[in-house]
Amino acid sequence: MLVEITHLTKTFGNFKAVDDVSFGVGEGEIVGILGPSGAGKSTTIHMILGLISPTAGEVRIFGMPFEGNRERILEKVSFSAPYVAFPGRLTVFENLMVFARLYNVPSSKIEELLSLFFIRDLRNTRVARLSSGENTRVGLCKAFMNDPKLLLVDEPTAYLDPQIASQVKQVFLGLQQRCGTAILYTSHNMAEVETMCDRVIFLNRGRVIANGSPIEITQRILNENRDEPALEEVFLRVAREQSN
Amino acid sequence: MGRLAEMLYWPVQNIVVWGFFTIYLSRDNHLKPSLASFLLGAAILWGMFYAFQRDLAAGFLEELWSRNLINLFSTPLSVSEYLAGLVAVNLMKAAAGLLAAALAAWLFYAWNIFPKFGALLPFVLNLGLFALAIGIVITGLIVRYTTRIQALAWSFAGLLMPFSCVFYPLSSLPAPLRPIALLLPTTHSFEGMRQALGGGGVSGIDFARGFALNVIYFAFAIFFFHLMFQSARVRGLLVKPE
Repeated sequence: MLVEITHLTKTFGNFKAVDDVSFGVGEGEIVGILGPSGAGKSTTIHMILGLISPTAGEVRIFGMPFEGNRERILEKVSFSAPYVAFPGRLTVFENLMVFARLYNVPSSKIEELLSLFFIRDLRNTRVARLSSGENTRVGLCKAFMNDPKLLLVDEPTAYLDPQIASQVKQVFLGLQQRCGTAILYTSHNMAEVETMCDRVIFLNRGRVIANGSPIEITQRILNENRDEPALEEVFLRVAREQSN
Repeated sequence: MGRLAEMLYWPVQNIVVWGFFTIYLSRDNHLKPSLASFLLGAAILWGMFYAFQRDLAAGFLEELWSRNLINLFSTPLSVSEYLAGLVAVNLMKAAAGLLAAALAAWLFYAWNIFPKFGALLPFVLNLGLFALAIGIVITGLIVRYTTRIQALAWSFAGLLMPFSCVFYPLSSLPAPLRPIALLLPTTHSFEGMRQALGGGGVSGIDFARGFALNVIYFAFAIFFFHLMFQSARVRGLLVKPE
C-alpha cells in the first residue's frame, strides 16, 4: 500500500472531527473521499499532509511513518484545493517558480504545465487578477510540479467550467496511467467521482461508513440491488440521516 | 516597483523628519553638534531595527492573507528553511532601508555615517539579532493566535522603545526602569552607538552585554517558534488561520 491510515483520530476540544478512520490507497489507485460537509474529509487530507497533527492513529506513506520522514515523503506528494491560493502580487510564473525551486525541477517544467492546463497566456499575469477557475488551474500546475506518486486533491474542479473540468480529469487519468500516481480525491460532484474513482470511502461524522467501489457503496448504503452506481442518492440519504 | 518604494520610502521619510528637527534644534546653537549626530544616528538605527522585526512578521502575515501557507507547508519545505528564507529576504530589505536612510542623511543634511560605520557595526549586528529574535517570537505568536494579534507586528517595537534609550542615555531613565532597560540588547546598542559617534571608540562591554542577551533571546525565539508551530498544527490553524 502506498498510503496506510490506521485508527486516525482528530479532536478539536470536544468535537471529534475524525474518528478512528482506517484505510489504504494502493499504487495507481484513484480513491474518492465523500461525505457531507463536516464529515472529516478535509481534516483527513490535512492530516495525511502533516498540516494537522492527529490526536491518535498513524499515517504511513510509501511504507514510512509520516512523523520523522516528512521531507522525504512530501518530495513525492502533492496537494491542490480551491481554498488555497498564491500571493497576488506575484505573477503566475513567479509563483510557480517558487515551487519549482522547492521541488528542484527546471523552469521548463512550468512552461509544460502551463500548456497542460491551458493557461500559457496567463504566464505573466499577476495572480490577483485571475478568476477562481484560473487560480484553481495554477494550483493544479503547482500540484503536478513534482510528478507526484501521491496526489491529494480537494474539490479540484470546483470552480472550473465543464469543458476545462473534463480536460483536467483527463490530465489526472493520464498521470495515473503514465506514472502510476495514486490520487485521493474529494468532490461534491458525484458523477465525477463515479467516473473517476476506482474506490470510494464514505465518511459521515468523522467515521468511515462505507469503503468500496461506487457500485458497492451504492448497494450497501441504499440497501438495494442496483446495476449502476448512484452516489448522488447515497449522498442525499446520508445527509438527510445526518440532519435528522 | 511598489515594493521597492515601500522598502525605501519610510526610512528616507524618517530621516527627513528627524533632519528637520535637528536643524530646528541647532539654530542659535541650542544643540551641540554631537547631539544632532546622536539623534540622526539613533533615527537611522532604530528605523532599521523596527523595519527588520516588523517585516519578518509582516512577511509571514502576507502568506497567511494570501492563503499560501498550505501550499508551502505541503511541500518538503521545513519550518527552519522557511524561517531562514524569511530572515534572508528581510535582512536584504533592512540593509537596503539602512543604506537609503544613511544616504538621505548625507545628501540632505551633510551628515555622513559611513566613516563611523566600522565602529557602529557591532551595534548594528546586535540590533539586527534582537530584531530577528523579536520578529521570530511575534511570527510564532501569529502562527498560534492567527490574525487576531497581527497588530503586534507593527506595534511591539513601540513597547520597547521607551526602555531602549534610543534618543537619550540610560542615565536619564528613572532609576526603577533601568534594570528593565539593561535587559534589552537595544539599550546596550544605543549606548554603544552614542559612544562611537561621540568619538569614544567601540564600547566592548556594551557590545558583549548586548550580544550575550541576544544569544539567550535568539535561542528562546527559535524554541518558542517551534512550540507555537506545533501547537498550531495540533489546533488545525495552519489550514484555517482566520
